[in-house]
Amino acid sequence: MVNYLAATSALDDVKHVINVLCEPHWFLIISVVALAVFLLKYRTVTKPAVAGTIGALCTLAFLVSCLDSNFVKIVTKADNVPIVMMMVLVGFLLWLAFRQAALNDERMERGEPLREAGADDKVLVWPDLVYIELIALVLCTAALVVWAIVLPAPLEQPADPNVAPNPAKAPWYFLGLQEMLVYFDPWLAGVVLPGLIIVGLIAIPYIDKNPRGNGYYTFKERPFAISTFLFGFVILWVVLIIFGTFLRGPNWNFFGPYEFWDPHRPAALLNTEFHDLFWQGLLDRRLPEHFLIRELPGIVLVVGYFVVCPVLLKATFFRRMYLQMGFIRYNVMAFLLLMMMLMPIKMALRWMFNLHYVVGITEWFLNV
Amino acid sequence: MATKEVVTRVWIEEGCIVCDACEAACPEVFQVTEDSCIIRPAAMAAEFNKPLTGSIRDAAEECPVDVIKFETMMAEVSDEAPTAADPPAEPASAKVPAAVPAKPKPAAAAKKADKPAAKSAAAALTDDETDPAIAALLRAAATRGGNAGILRSGDIDSDEWRRTAAAQLPPDARQAKLVEAAKKASKDPDAGRRTVAGGAALAVGWVAFGTGLGVSIGPAFGRFMMPNVLEEPDPRIRIGPKKRYLEMAVGEVNEDYKPQGIWMIRLDDRIAALNIICTHLGCIPNWLPNDKKYKCPCHGSGYTFDGINFEGPTPRPLERFKILEEGGIVVVDKSKKYQHELGQWDQKDSFLPV
Ligand code: SF4
Ligand code: FES
Repeated sequence: MVNYLAATSALDDVKHVINVLCEPHWFLIISVVALAVFLLKYRTVTKPAVAGTIGALCTLAFLVSCLDSNFVKIVTKADNVPIVMMMVLVGFLLWLAFRQAALNDERMERGEPLREAGADDKVLVWPDLVYIELIALVLCTAALVVWAIVLPAPLEQPADPNVAPNPAKAPWYFLGLQEMLVYFDPWLAGVVLPGLIIVGLIAIPYIDKNPRGNGYYTFKERPFAISTFLFGFVILWVVLIIFGTFLRGPNWNFFGPYEFWDPHRPAALLNTEFHDLFWQGLLDRRLPEHFLIRELPGIVLVVGYFVVCPVLLKATFFRRMYLQMGFIRYNVMAFLLLMMMLMPIKMALRWMFNLHYVVGITEWFLNV
Repeated sequence: MATKEVVTRVWIEEGCIVCDACEAACPEVFQVTEDSCIIRPAAMAAEFNKPLTGSIRDAAEECPVDVIKFETMMAEVSDEAPTAADPPAEPASAKVPAAVPAKPKPAAAAKKADKPAAKSAAAALTDDETDPAIAALLRAAATRGGNAGILRSGDIDSDEWRRTAAAQLPPDARQAKLVEAAKKASKDPDAGRRTVAGGAALAVGWVAFGTGLGVSIGPAFGRFMMPNVLEEPDPRIRIGPKKRYLEMAVGEVNEDYKPQGIWMIRLDDRIAALNIICTHLGCIPNWLPNDKKYKCPCHGSGYTFDGINFEGPTPRPLERFKILEEGGIVVVDKSKKYQHELGQWDQKDSFLPV
């Protein structure tokens, strides 16, 4: 009995620690560190034994967590099951790609031919591809039918324009966008940034003309490209979906995975504006009357970010890249990169200082 | 006597480019006219064609656009018949007429052997590697008049071909002549006028048609697009006696008319009607009495009880509705809104003084 109590209280302590670690800033830092370690040590981490152990540990942690009723409630919600599967899939596919990259990179160092060398992977559309597609189609249909029967979609009350469910969540694949809307003005987070994501992805082949890595797996030859992409995909998309799915509860507050979703849990997040910080905090003055003067420091900061950073990077880390890419492509790349980094920067500012807007021209609906 | 495959019927499908190759190969059957190629009337008869099987086959093969088609049958022919140059027939099994695609491609050598004299010039020009279509062109040009040069569109620099009659020209030059004639025709001032006039007539016709259609059916269609019953609730909502709101404590929120989209609030010197729609992206926030705030479930925007935004992403405060008193009854007019960031909350009708 005593043992049992001690065990549960130890478990509760662990749960508490995990709840704290799942607060957004810790979660983001941990994910970034994990991704960095993975990229730096990819040859060790992707060894089947190591990767298998990590996978087994995660599964174990998941199963133990399922002893917690709050956790089970979130994870088994019909809407959330596919996201649990997605996390497993993302992990597996990352491993798969990096395992092959690791093997190839080792071969390259030893001067051996790549794994893909000489492989004749040409197949005919008919019958090879069509058969595979047919089989995939049948299997998917069967899986969806079973899924729909076992985990039926909830039928809720008729829509009422005057009532919003609490929390109101977008479909899972848009939860990243919904999370972006928390930090940026609607026109930025809802129009400009999603547009830039699409345009930027389309632009990749024109920006990155480096032929290395075409048709074979490698990480050593493309560290910057692959790391940047993975940062955008894993951290700024998948992690945000995880936030939105598992950690955002009533009133769009953050809840730890073992926490009860209490709609009355107090959460005070008093917004601060950058102009207040600057004029009142730093200069100890009244806010200027005219809004353009009021927002001048913010505007300078934002414009400076986009002007100074590319120049600085060009002179330091990206010197070789600039020479290879030329003026225009380098600047397009730098702009897209800085746009992407705006997201974690703004998130951190919000979490640390409750910063609302850097530039807040509410009069013109122009807020950054 | 031997069994041979002979041509019974020959015809030309669409697509002739008037290249002369067929007439060169088999003038008995084909006649190239100014702008196309026809089968001579005599060649409509199977008996006429049979002895010419060899050269018809050649013609079909030499046609650069493969538009010459023919039908064959197995027949017994005497060895003396001028079909000696026939390419070897396909295994003679059935004696039934068989329509075969007109593209048998015997070895180039056999072809050359068949008309040694006429092709001597061509043979020099043709090398085995050339594209068969080009080879045919070359051969055709060489055949006509024996020494007619080839004029390719790229190197037409002399004016010769313009002055020479089309029938005397090699195929490329004829083509060029045709193209030029076609261009001239389209630049013909009369033709131009005709086109403009025709276009104008067409335009007038379409405009008239469109107008007629618009006038006759348009209104009916427009009416069809409108709902038959328009449920537009009166924007003016009567929400009971003013007394009821005066009795509220300062800072209290009345949610009775939330289904109509209104929160009634009591400030120390006035009562006002808040629009319940979140100014961030239009969700409906909840009033949390314990925290004394409205909290939006979509992105977590928070507003104080009087509608000022203080947390979350929303850029501006909640809006207030026009509010009036009519004989002791409070009326909220949802068609007029007042925004704080535009300094409208002190305007008349945006509140009821206490
Ligand atoms: S050979 Fe073919 S393209 Fe040339 S004239 Fe005869 S049918 Fe026409
Ligand atoms: S709609 Fe209310 S916070 Fe976004």
